[in-house]
Amino acid sequence: MLLTAIVGTNADFSYNRLLLQYMQKHFKGLANIRIVEIDTLPPFSEDTPADMAVWRFKKAIQLSDGVIFSTPEYDHSIPAALKSAIEWLSYKSEVLKHKPAMIVGTSYGPQASSRAQEHLRQILASPDCDAYTLSGNEMLIGNAAKVFVDGNVTDRRIQAELEEYFVNFVKFIDQTAEGDDAMSMHQPYLDDAYINFPTGRLSFREVQQIFSTIPFEIDLIDHNDKFSWFSNKPNREHVRSVREIGEGVEECHPPKALPIVMKIINSFKDGSQDSVSRPLMMHGHRVLIQYYALRDVDGSYLGTIEFTGSVEHILNFYEQGAWSDAATGASQTDGTTGASEHAETAPDETPEPKPKADSSDGTSGASEH
Amino acid sequence: MKFVAIVGTNAKRSYNRMLLHYMQNHFDQATITVVDIQGIPMFNENHPETDPEAVVELAAAIAEADGVIIGCPEYNHSVPSPLKSVIEWLSYRLHPFADKPVMIVGASTYPQGSSRAQLHLRQILDSPGANAQVFPGNEFLLGQANRAFDDEGNLKDSGTIDFLTQCFDGFLDFVAMHQQFKKGDA
Ligand SMILES: Cc1cc2nc3c(=O)[nH]c(=O)nc-3n(C[C@H](O)[C@H](O)[C@H](O)COP(=O)(O)O)c2cc1C
Ligand SMILES: Cc1cc2nc3c(=O)[nH]c(=O)nc-3n(C[C@H](O)[C@H](O)[C@H](O)COP(=O)(O)O)c2cc1C
Repeated sequence: MLLTAIVGTNADFSYNRLLLQYMQKHFKGLANIRIVEIDTLPPFSEDTPADMAVWRFKKAIQLSDGVIFSTPEYDHSIPAALKSAIEWLSYKSEVLKHKPAMIVGTSYGPQASSRAQEHLRQILASPDCDAYTLSGNEMLIGNAAKVFVDGNVTDRRIQAELEEYFVNFVKFIDQTAEGDDAMSMHQPYLDDAYINFPTGRLSFREVQQIFSTIPFEIDLIDHNDKFSWFSNKPNREHVRSVREIGEGVEECHPPKALPIVMKIINSFKDGSQDSVSRPLMMHGHRVLIQYYALRDVDGSYLGTIEFTGSVEHILNFYEQGAWSDAATGASQTDGTTGASEHAETAPDETPEPKPKADSSDGTSGASEH
Repeated sequence: MKFVAIVGTNAKRSYNRMLLHYMQNHFDQATITVVDIQGIPMFNENHPETDPEAVVELAAAIAEADGVIIGCPEYNHSVPSPLKSVIEWLSYRLHPFADKPVMIVGASTYPQGSSRAQLHLRQILDSPGANAQVFPGNEFLLGQANRAFDDEGNLKDSGTIDFLTQCFDGFLDFVAMHQQFKKGDA
């Protein structure tokens, strides 16, 4: 379980930050808590475009199973810096929608940010946020300077309250979990149905497994510029989540990549291009990303496919001279047709690249099986 | 009388700003100075180490004024962060709101007219750091603000104008009463 914990202040020193760090340590066995800071975000304004920091912040929330807010109290409400962060999350964005949320807070004084926490509950319940805040549980820690000693909480009563609340939150997430549940089955819904192609039929299960088996991953942006599907291949280069399905292109790409992506998509729409290739290094190996215009039989635009995979094994073939005797012409026909019925007509060619295939597979592709 | 009217947003186009300008242009019992808050950075306890120039200026203007009017939009059922940030600056090292009469008005594009944000703002201004004298009752809520003004920035509906006038007259009395009370104090 991945949780994002938001430090509700931009202050250099914060007891609320200490509280989250304590929770991160204390609940390590129950959840993976990632702490995010809000001091790098620009102040919210309707007129300011979201930058990379905002994009990363929104992604962190979107990809987590739940959010923990630790809020100080400033003037009987939440700090402006936290309010601004929430405005970014809610403005033209649905990352908080139905997201399980837990509110905690601590203050230097005895009030323990109680009024700020009430405001925060109301804010998170507003339609533009629509988070699922766990009700009936509160964590109010007053006199913070006495409670946190070397970053630890030693007061048994506070520990027990926090543990009860956190366990309730974990249960709450399990109950409200949606989306990734369907994913965890790793199965298409109708596994005994068939699609009849002019060239044969495939079961839904076969379709699913073909996409999981071929060594390239596929993402589809539909004709409305919405991210509508990705192949469920193990060890993907681009890690995707079903939470991103349905997002607009502008939401799923970071602001700095967006102009390039839109240019490609627009060139596919107006028909000026059909494909674009981008070689690049990812996770320490050579990867090729190819974008293809997905067109109907009549040529009309259906969407854009992003076809991504490691090309290490191909390049290894090449570097080991797999095609070097192709110049003689002997294997050329084989290389271009490649169909299985030709294999037996040239039995002497196959043994040689085969061992290479195994060895290069061993270095790059093994983890995918 | 002299009032400072704070536009509670950093947005370039704002119905709350239009509302304050309307009040400035139509209520001649007082001189209303409309102040924008775009130049005020996000509040931070540590940075910069002293109050930014724009904060000091606004605090001085408030200190000199007989009262403050705040045009409060609603973001996520609460006060927009830019306005909250300004109040934090003005409740931290400087406290110009202390004992200052404040009138809250608000506009929103939805029917409620920033009602929930105004309630939060009352609570915020009531906190010890701000300690303002918020004019009670007289909730001026301008809903569907996108249809409320004509091309010259005038309110179209006479009922709305009457109620705003009534609230403003009440505020003038409230400020006068407050000043009377202060004199008695001295
Ligand atoms: C502008 C400002 C306003 C504050 N208002 C309140 C308040 O209304 N109630 C309260 O209990 N503490 C208030 N405090 C004190 C904070 O609770 C205290 O600084 C606390 O340590 C903040 O949490 P942190 O340590 O996580 O930053 C205020 C502090 C600042 C800077
Ligand atoms: C981030 C954000 C959140 C909003 N939330 C609310 C809301 O909770 N209630 C509401 O009535 N209007 C809400 N609105 C719409 C505002 O009422 C509308 O933008 C209005 O024009 C803001 O006031 P202004 O014109 O003075 O900037 C929200 C707008 C933004 C940008």
